[in-house]
Amino acid sequence: MSAVTRTFMFMSALAAAAACTKAGEGDKAAGAAASPRDAVLDAWKANKLAPSAMAPATVAFAKDCQAGSVAGIDAMLCSFASVSEAKSAEDQGLAWVGSATGASQARGQVLIMLADRKKADPSGRTINQLLKLAPNEPFR
Amino acid sequence: MLVALAALGSAGPADAAVKQVRYVGIHPIPASEGGGICYIEGPHVHIFEASDRLQYRDHRGANYFVGDPVAYGYDGQRYVYRGHHPIHVDAVVGDDVPDDEFCYIDGPHYHSFAPPEGPEFKVSGDAYFYVGDPPRAYVEARPRMVRINAEYQPLVYERPVVTVDPPAGWIGARAEFVTPAVVVEPPRAGVRVEAVAPEPSVRAGVGIGIGVGVAAGIGIGIGAGTVVRERPVIVHERPVIVHERPVIVHERPVIVHERPVIVRERPVVVRERPVVVHERPVVRERVEVQHKTMVDDRPHAAGHHR
Repeated sequence: MSAVTRTFMFMSALAAAAACTKAGEGDKAAGAAASPRDAVLDAWKANKLAPSAMAPATVAFAKDCQAGSVAGIDAMLCSFASVSEAKSAEDQGLAWVGSATGASQARGQVLIMLADRKKADPSGRTINQLLKLAPNEPFR
Repeated sequence: MLVALAALGSAGPADAAVKQVRYVGIHPIPASEGGGICYIEGPHVHIFEASDRLQYRDHRGANYFVGDPVAYGYDGQRYVYRGHHPIHVDAVVGDDVPDDEFCYIDGPHYHSFAPPEGPEFKVSGDAYFYVGDPPRAYVEARPRMVRINAEYQPLVYERPVVTVDPPAGWIGARAEFVTPAVVVEPPRAGVRVEAVAPEPSVRAGVGIGIGVGVAAGIGIGIGAGTVVRERPVIVHERPVIVHERPVIVHERPVIVHERPVIVRERPVVVRERPVVVHERPVVRERVEVQHKTMVDDRPHAAGHHR
């Protein structure tokens, strides 16, 4: 086998490996979310409830939180290590809701806090939809 | 029920002075807060109270609405019930805390949920009829809870129409669960009075009331063996509808603003005005002068005496 042939085969193998890697990433972007919080956000986006850019937020009762807004409603999503931890933080999440109509409910390992501080959702339909769209299964 | 938010700290942008009120499931929004229906099905909070206690039950510290949401503008999925029935709240809201409450609305009405499948409900004419055995708690609370019907009486909305006969065993047709609606005086001699207290009136669209039918048969004996029976006189009394409106007393806190009494003591300035004594000069000298002049002007008469 000549040097030219070996070089060609090596380059072909590299190209094939790169193609496989790209295909894998594409599948992940189209389907599975990277985290429990992303799964919630993806579910909202899929139903035309695109949230604003979620920014890291600090609260006393959770470590991994991001806050933004969806359809005029303030939203905070905190990820927990387990479903039970997220569930047990529901009451503390109501403190973040404060003096507004809102909810604090666990969906899997994610605690979803929603607060209608701008009174954008007087009937609560949007809050209800956001809560129902969020996947409730434990993230794997 | 009330979540004091006094210790929020840095948890969020909340107003520490406001109290949250917990709800679970859909419910009417008070007119003072805009009216209509809140469609949040799960646990949530508002910053207004559930003022009408007859229409709410407590479920794990949250207010659960047991009334007819259509009366307040609900436009979602609805199911027709007739008469009193249990509500398995845990099944409706989807949690695992058993909680059976009762709806005391007479006649056809709506709810946003269907009952769980089982023998305690029968479906007839697309309406659910409760045919189970109610617990003692239902019977005990009924005198107080049936007042909810007075609250629905003035509400104008499209009520369901149920024209089918209720199935056997329906709670509304069982004598032990029908409230006596009329007091009949003891029969007098020769007069036989039959009083029938039928099931509550359930005519949809007319309202909710208690129908009372009184059938009176009179038998009169004349002579021996001759009996003249008059036809029974059937008196249909109109439903007795009692409008009992809840008396809601809003106790507003009396806030007394005690304003500090500021006493400003103004310095007393005593200005001592100098006493100026104008001493007027005594013009004695002038008088003397005048006197002297007068003396001088007199003519001399000394020579005449001599």
